Amino acid sequence: MNLLKIILKNMRQRALATTLTTISVALAVALTVAILHIKHGMENRFEQSAIGYEMVVGAKGSPLQLVLNTVFNLDISPGNIPWSLVEKLREDRRVKAAVPFSVGDNYHGFRIIGTTDQFGEAFGYKLAEGRWFNFSEAALRDAFIEANEHAHERIAEERGETPPKPAEHHHEASEAVIGATVAEQTGLRVGQTFIAAHGLEPSPNAEQHTDNPWTIVGILAPTHTAVDRGLYINLDSFYHIEGHEVRDKSKAEAKKEEPKDNDPDPGQVSSVAVKLRSPILALTLYREINDSDNAMAAFPAVEIRKLFSIVGNIDHILLAQAILIGIVAGVAIAVSIYNSMSERRREIAILRALGARRGTIFAVVVLEAVSICAIGAVAGVIGGHIIVFLANAALQRVSGFTVSAFEFQTVELIVVAGCIILGALAGLGPAARAYRTEVAKNLAPTS
Amino acid sequence: MKDVLSLNNVSKSYRDADGSPLDVIHISRLSLATGEQVALVGQSGSGKSTLLNLIAGILLPDSGEILVNSTNITKLAEAARDRFRAANIGYVFQSFNLLQGFTALENVLLGQMFAGGTNGGDRAVKLLEIVGLGKRLHHKPRAMSVGEQQRVAIARALVNAPPLVLADEPTGSLDAKNSEAVLELLQQICADNKHTLLLVTHDAAVMKRFDKVIQLEELR
Repeated sequence: MNLLKIILKNMRQRALATTLTTISVALAVALTVAILHIKHGMENRFEQSAIGYEMVVGAKGSPLQLVLNTVFNLDISPGNIPWSLVEKLREDRRVKAAVPFSVGDNYHGFRIIGTTDQFGEAFGYKLAEGRWFNFSEAALRDAFIEANEHAHERIAEERGETPPKPAEHHHEASEAVIGATVAEQTGLRVGQTFIAAHGLEPSPNAEQHTDNPWTIVGILAPTHTAVDRGLYINLDSFYHIEGHEVRDKSKAEAKKEEPKDNDPDPGQVSSVAVKLRSPILALTLYREINDSDNAMAAFPAVEIRKLFSIVGNIDHILLAQAILIGIVAGVAIAVSIYNSMSERRREIAILRALGARRGTIFAVVVLEAVSICAIGAVAGVIGGHIIVFLANAALQRVSGFTVSAFEFQTVELIVVAGCIILGALAGLGPAARAYRTEVAKNLAPTS
Repeated sequence: MKDVLSLNNVSKSYRDADGSPLDVIHISRLSLATGEQVALVGQSGSGKSTLLNLIAGILLPDSGEILVNSTNITKLAEAARDRFRAANIGYVFQSFNLLQGFTALENVLLGQMFAGGTNGGDRAVKLLEIVGLGKRLHHKPRAMSVGEQQRVAIARALVNAPPLVLADEPTGSLDAKNSEAVLELLQQICADNKHTLLLVTHDAAVMKRFDKVIQLEELR
């Protein structure tokens, strides 16, 4: 016989109240843990994804949209920037690497991103198997020319003229390196091919580019970032797809501009990720680009911080709600035990007559409240992780990221400790009442 | 023979509804020797139960001294008095006062727990076997007859082998047959173990079982 057994007996005697109050605590803790876990996990994933992307350059518009599109494979591209800007950035002494991206297609909802062979090296992405795709500047130039010829052909057709016969072009192989999540979820392996669907989101009516399949030559090692959810193709192959404009279609139409041969600015890309030789050079380059007419620069880290400062307020509201539920649960525990004190006066008097000290009785009541909170807290932590596990599908749909449901954070220990303190506080009132129980009066026969 | 219990000029009063003191107890002298069995009788409301609560250290007298096993319990701090009570005084109540959520064995072990008992459950089991409940160790009070419940209470009172056993009308809730059996058991175990027994009763049949009967009024 020991105090723990007495506490458990007391809890069992009030099984309904104990169960309900434990569930209240568990619910509050589960919500708190899930919110904190998802918040922390998402921040981590976003921050991890932003590592290495010191600056991104794209069409003028929303910097957050540019960052989400380039770094996180989310949202739509704000527009295109001329290839000449990519070359200008590459030649800039302050720039260590300028990696272009072109987007517009997907495979089962995973984005297909046209880029160069600098992509892996510049950002330190490793291959789990296979090799990187082949890329050559000459092939890219040729792809731009070919795309321009196709544009000539289309414009001539629109005018009812006989289109000029396009020249024969040699295509480099259409190759792809796919992210770890893509490989895992689609089952695509090295050596297999895939066909792109037009658009950034999957749609049953989307045009399938059946004439241009890509062969998978490599699979990236998991990075736990948005990169895992992308299919990376050699940029030149991106322009082999019919309908992929090398220049801004709307502007060309507005100016009735015809593509020119030997155009000094033959193509366009969605954005460029820039790595700088020194962070202190970032601000001057940022200003220069933003002062220009045709492009905008954004710092992913800054934009993500801004995003989380907005989302953080929602987190705080949810967290406040969860804490409020916890406090209500604490009050419910206090009321439930306090009310039971009337029924338990005789039991307390018996224990005192048997030699239990007032302090022991006080401790039994406080520990009973603490036990309810501790059991609720542990159940809540498990429940919180189950919520995270169940929420992962929705998280992936919304953000492209998942959060590991099996990682435990230090903050969870703090939540459990907080619950134990809450339990102790909830037990103080009833314990004080138990402490003051008159022994002789309550030992007397009741009838 | 050594006195196990000694009361000298013990008085206890309560305040009544209008705040004036109401004398409940005044004992000039009472002493019980080791192994002695005494029935204490008195009119209803004469303070018999209050006297037992004073001896048990549950209540404190307004004045006087109460020595149990040579220890003046009125001088002990409350926590020390609680510890002393657990180890030295067994208490049997009229309404058994068993904890309903606990089994017979657990109720007996509770008595041992607060005395810091170290002999495990052996003595508790043995005592329950002695009182005829060897096969009902794990039954809860509500599954037992009133006679059985009082036998559990006796085992609980004796589990720490206390030198002094107090019984407050222990047969008050029992029928004649159960009363006889319970008293027989209580007196026999106390006699066998040389426990001093002070039993409060107003039942003439119970009084007859005791060689020494004290009228509370005589102690004033």
